[in-house]
Amino acid sequence: MTHKDRISPDENGQSQEQKLQSMISALWDRSRHTVVERAALLQTAGDLLAHNRLDETTQLNAVDSAHKLAGVLGTFGLPRGTDLAREAEVLFGQSMTPGKVEIERLQVLLAELTRLIDRGPLGPD
Amino acid sequence: MGWKPYSQPLALPVAFIFFLMTHRILIIDDEDDIRQVAAMSLETVAGWDVLLASSGKQGIERASSEQPDAILLDVMMPEMDGPTTLLKLKANGSTSHIPVLLLTAKVQGPDQRKFAEMGVAATLFKPFDPLTLAKQISAALGWKEGG
Repeated sequence: MTHKDRISPDENGQSQEQKLQSMISALWDRSRHTVVERAALLQTAGDLLAHNRLDETTQLNAVDSAHKLAGVLGTFGLPRGTDLAREAEVLFGQSMTPGKVEIERLQVLLAELTRLIDRGPLGPD
Repeated sequence: MGWKPYSQPLALPVAFIFFLMTHRILIIDDEDDIRQVAAMSLETVAGWDVLLASSGKQGIERASSEQPDAILLDVMMPEMDGPTTLLKLKANGSTSHIPVLLLTAKVQGPDQRKFAEMGVAATLFKPFDPLTLAKQISAALGWKEGG
């Protein structure tokens, strides 16, 4: 079987590429709640950081969640989500007491990340 | 009824050739959605057999018992992380020959050098494109496309 065979339409007229996209879309629907939970954790951590109340455990969880989101969002068709999550991972990992500019940037990017996830991979990225 | 040496001259050879062309990949990743997307990708696009493990410990056990052709190993995992799992795989006589590709969301240079020194066949980056993951693995391991 060659790569060409695999992207040719099957008996249902669906190419392997279309079949894979359908499967990934269904998986996104099943995984969405985990992604939303991780984004919510980032939002909570961002709020705590803005009020100078972020504890070390929440900070580590935020770095971990941002890292996981960065790894998965692009695979689900949200490359912009990966960029935002990577930036959040760096900002959360830098310091427990970041400056005003970093906190404002974090709030803006987390809001955009939440909007992107709400819209999902089928909307315009 | 006598012996019929060539009663089905093509079926067996074709099945054998197809078997030879199909690779078996073990995916070790603690994230369920990543395991599933990678499995869907390799099974659907390349027609490979995929084995799954959700931890380093489980991955080592499956690698030893199932002898996959290659292992796709996540770097950041709880309990036993990817580099520790890799060292254990390389130290085990029954798994040391299996090529390991690391899958990471980190892109820093020092990590890359460290991984290369540890004997990884290649490092692939998250997020990966499900449509081209099999091609990336094939290219990294010098396999013919998709096979």
